[in-house]
Amino acid sequence: MIRGPVSRAVRGGLTRRRVQTIVIGLVLLISTGASVLALAIVVDSNAPFDHAFAAQHGADEVASIDSAKATAAQLAATSKLPVVTAASGPFAEVTVAADISATPGCTPGPGNPCLIGGSLPPMTLVGRATLGGQVDDLTLQSGHWATKPGQVVLDGSGSGPEVGLPLGARLVITSAPGKPTLTVVGIASSITGSAAGWVAPSEIFGLSPRGAPASAQMLYRFKAAGSSAELTADMAAVARALPVGAVSGSQSYLAAKAQESGNIAPFVPFLFAFGVIGMVMSVLIVANVVSSAVVAGYRRIGILKSIGFTPGQVLAAYTGQAAIPAVVGCLGGVLAGNLVAAPVLAQTASAYGVGALAVPVWVDVTVPGVMLCLVGAAAVLPALRAGRLSAVQAIATGRAPRTGRGHIAHRLLGRLALPRPVTIGLAAPFARPARTAVTLVAVLLGAATVTLAVGLSTSLNMVVTALSHAKAQPVQVFDPAGSGAGGGLVHIKGPGGPQPPAISPAAAQRAIEAALRAQPGTLHYVAEADQQVSVAGLSQQVPVTAFRGDASWTGYDMVTGHWYTGPGQVDVSAGFLTLTGDSVGGTITILSGSRQVTARIVGEVFQGGPQLITDWQTLAAVQPGLAANKFDLGLRPGTSEAAYIQGLQSRLGQQYPVVSNQRNSTVVDLMIGLIGTLTLLLTIVAGLGVLNTVVLHTRERVHDLGVFKAVGMTPRQTIAMVVCWVAGIGLIAGLIAVPAGIFLHGVVLPAMANAADVGLPSNLLNVYHPVEIAVLALAGLAIAVAGSLLPASWAAATRTASVLHAE
Amino acid sequence: MDALIQLSDVTKRYDAGGHPAVDRVSLTVAPGEAVAVMGPSGSGKSTLLNLIAGLDRPTSGTVTVAGQRIDTLSETGVARFRRQRIGMIFQFFNLLDDLTVADNVLLPAQLSGLRAAQARARTAELLAALRIDRHADAFPARLSGGERQRVAIARALVNRPVLLLADEPTGALDTATGEEIGELLRDLNSSGQTMVLVTHNPDLAARYARRTVHIVDGQVRSDVVIGSSTDLAGQVLP
Ligand SMILES: Nc1ncnc2c1ncn2[C@@H]1O[C@H](COP(=O)(O)OP(=O)(O)OP(=O)(O)O)[C@@H](O)[C@H]1O
Ligand SMILES: [Mg+2]
Repeated sequence: MIRGPVSRAVRGGLTRRRVQTIVIGLVLLISTGASVLALAIVVDSNAPFDHAFAAQHGADEVASIDSAKATAAQLAATSKLPVVTAASGPFAEVTVAADISATPGCTPGPGNPCLIGGSLPPMTLVGRATLGGQVDDLTLQSGHWATKPGQVVLDGSGSGPEVGLPLGARLVITSAPGKPTLTVVGIASSITGSAAGWVAPSEIFGLSPRGAPASAQMLYRFKAAGSSAELTADMAAVARALPVGAVSGSQSYLAAKAQESGNIAPFVPFLFAFGVIGMVMSVLIVANVVSSAVVAGYRRIGILKSIGFTPGQVLAAYTGQAAIPAVVGCLGGVLAGNLVAAPVLAQTASAYGVGALAVPVWVDVTVPGVMLCLVGAAAVLPALRAGRLSAVQAIATGRAPRTGRGHIAHRLLGRLALPRPVTIGLAAPFARPARTAVTLVAVLLGAATVTLAVGLSTSLNMVVTALSHAKAQPVQVFDPAGSGAGGGLVHIKGPGGPQPPAISPAAAQRAIEAALRAQPGTLHYVAEADQQVSVAGLSQQVPVTAFRGDASWTGYDMVTGHWYTGPGQVDVSAGFLTLTGDSVGGTITILSGSRQVTARIVGEVFQGGPQLITDWQTLAAVQPGLAANKFDLGLRPGTSEAAYIQGLQSRLGQQYPVVSNQRNSTVVDLMIGLIGTLTLLLTIVAGLGVLNTVVLHTRERVHDLGVFKAVGMTPRQTIAMVVCWVAGIGLIAGLIAVPAGIFLHGVVLPAMANAADVGLPSNLLNVYHPVEIAVLALAGLAIAVAGSLLPASWAAATRTASVLHAE
Repeated sequence: MDALIQLSDVTKRYDAGGHPAVDRVSLTVAPGEAVAVMGPSGSGKSTLLNLIAGLDRPTSGTVTVAGQRIDTLSETGVARFRRQRIGMIFQFFNLLDDLTVADNVLLPAQLSGLRAAQARARTAELLAALRIDRHADAFPARLSGGERQRVAIARALVNRPVLLLADEPTGALDTATGEEIGELLRDLNSSGQTMVLVTHNPDLAARYARRTVHIVDGQVRSDVVIGSSTDLAGQVLP
């Protein structure tokens, strides 16, 4: 590429600027590595779903049809609508309640779990003749398709408790007349979770509750299905083509996608923010190095030109100085990014079941490509100036003493009652305004990242605490006999597991409550039932939590509205509002079996996923046999949690597990770890930017340093002076960085919440307190001091005697 | 002996194994003396001065100034020593372009922690004595060569050093200005200031210093004391 004199000039430049060469290399290594890591995580958060969705011809919308209102012909005609690219159905569907029958004569042992019974929450079964289809092409994971009466294939990719039932398990459909039994013959997966299970089409009518309206599902793929607005329009077109009321509800693939990628989606906003900050800092630092090399090298440029270098060759010589370490740094960064990404992606993949993940090749190519283009532009601009300079002008500029700039600063600062080395140091930035500005921005970005990271970590920790309610209800007691999805279902038992108590649920709960009242240290307690219910207009089941008694203390943060105050009121999560399109103040109809109840949405709680929270009476209206599966306990101040748990456990006996309500979130821990790592890397980059500036400055001031030494400046005074060259910049940058970081926090955190589909209570945003702010304001100073100490000690140790005798 | 400067067998090599810049030099300077050091370019004069100032360390031998072994002092110790005991002036003045004349002169006093009022009084006194007080607030770039050198002399004297080291103080000045600076230095010596003066100019050496040391290839070739008013033995080396 570069040959002969130019390459020799480049090599000369490189060896003479070893520190800058290393700084460019390191900065690009770090920011390329961080960007590769960030982009890989962002991309892989979507990739597995998108692949599976394409492979299975996933349904953009699953529509629930009231079979009484639309004929098969009318439904078939919807596939010819211009917005529809493919349709499948109608498939008869029914919502059933089922019990698991115990494996007869099974003795549990290691490696031989036995089904011991239990009830499943309501589930949707669909009658389908074949596995495949134009839309929602199911994948069989094990067993075979249901072809005979009494057979069922379950969805293995869902989230309900039925997942995990083995082949051969038998379900008693308690909601159907005659309580027929279905045997699990296969496990399949639907990318959009169009049903919890499938049976042969002829089977479905025997499974319907008496008098239940006949319902069917239609699966659609649309031309435009990128956003929920497009999908809503598409479904409106379908609904218009059918008789009024025929479409009783629909569910888009976006919900399933959000569920699949929901764990990683919140990473995107902060990774994006950190990535952009990293890139900007790299560009600034490289521009600083190259333009300083050009400024410091004016004389050299003049000499190169006077001996016959063309402007192009000068340009090549100066960009080459930055290009070689930049390329090396980028390649190292790609390598490092892949190495770091491997365990992070593996952890993500295994924890959230999104399949095997690796850094996509295009990320490995694009990131260094973009980095090098940006850095190249940053290097070419100042180098162009060097190329255009006339030889005479260059030599003259290199020689002319700089006068004027910084004099006023020196005079004013000299009046301050500070040690002289400090005031001299503080005045230095004024002599080089451009370099000062670049350094200031680099430190500002680094310090703002610190502020952002501290805020995000605080907020995320609060999120975990808020979601677990560990603060308000540090202890929970489980009642394995209670109904519900949370603790009630113990369908697979290994040896030594909890035995269901032999007494009736009501008696058991009276016993638990008596024990809670008797146990010293109990501040308050409330019985909780966790169930799944249907909601009119939604084809999927929604988790509902009902409390018996006052539960306003249980630690749910309100986003808007208020905690329910009586029957007929319900609090919901943002995920529920997204799913239904409802808002606070609206009314919903909760369905279970053949019963229904309406409730008004009175508030939005901070909770992940779709969730309903209501009082006991409201849920009991649709589930008359409702029993608590859990008790939430608040402790009196000063009560030892461990001692309390021990005491209560021995009072209750082993059949009711008493557990500490631990904060527990792998996702958030992963996020905080990643934020910490990236922040460390970005502050290192900012520190390297400072180091670079100080080295450039030392180079220019080597003569002054000699003079200071000759008049008796001690090494310590020299270090103080050099550190003060950038300390003022750091302090100012730090002061600006705090509001900047708080602003970023106010943008990034809501974006993360939005990606996770949760509303944000205001207390999660207001995490910066005066003391914290005061400490954070010093972050810029800390970066500046840390970045300058090393070159300052170099400056103090350099022997400068010889420069005193030369001009 | 009450020597102010005592060099014993001092050798300085910049490159290990290379030719020494200063070669086994032993030299004694008494308080109140003015010594001119002469020799061809590259003979090691500046190196010798740097060794006396503690700006550089000898490869071997000992350097004692004002009763203190400075070749063994720490970097901090040698810096303190320098600002209290030594004043230095150079051919190219070595003023700090960013600081005013007064600030340049004040600097050594400020570095050594002198109280501000005292330092200002001392500076004003020196600027007046050297007839540059009207330039106190100017920047060095605006001054003539002679004026700049006077500022450098004021800066060298601000901490009342026992020893003044000058490396070709007139080398960058025209003849008339050079004479003027020479007179100034002689007056300083007359009032008791010990000084070592490096110069190419035999005239200057003869007129302003009673003792002349000749250095060639890093070695002392001759050490001549002119006049009889000194009790130091004048000797001529072969
Ligand atoms: N920092 C240094 N590194 C290496 N060699 C040096 C250094 N300083 C001086 N020298 C060498 O030491 C020898 C003495 O140099 P010095 O500057 O002391 O001579 P000088 O007598 O002051 O010369 P001049 O009259 O030209 O100022 C020379 O050969 C010079 O090249
Ligand atoms: Mg010299």
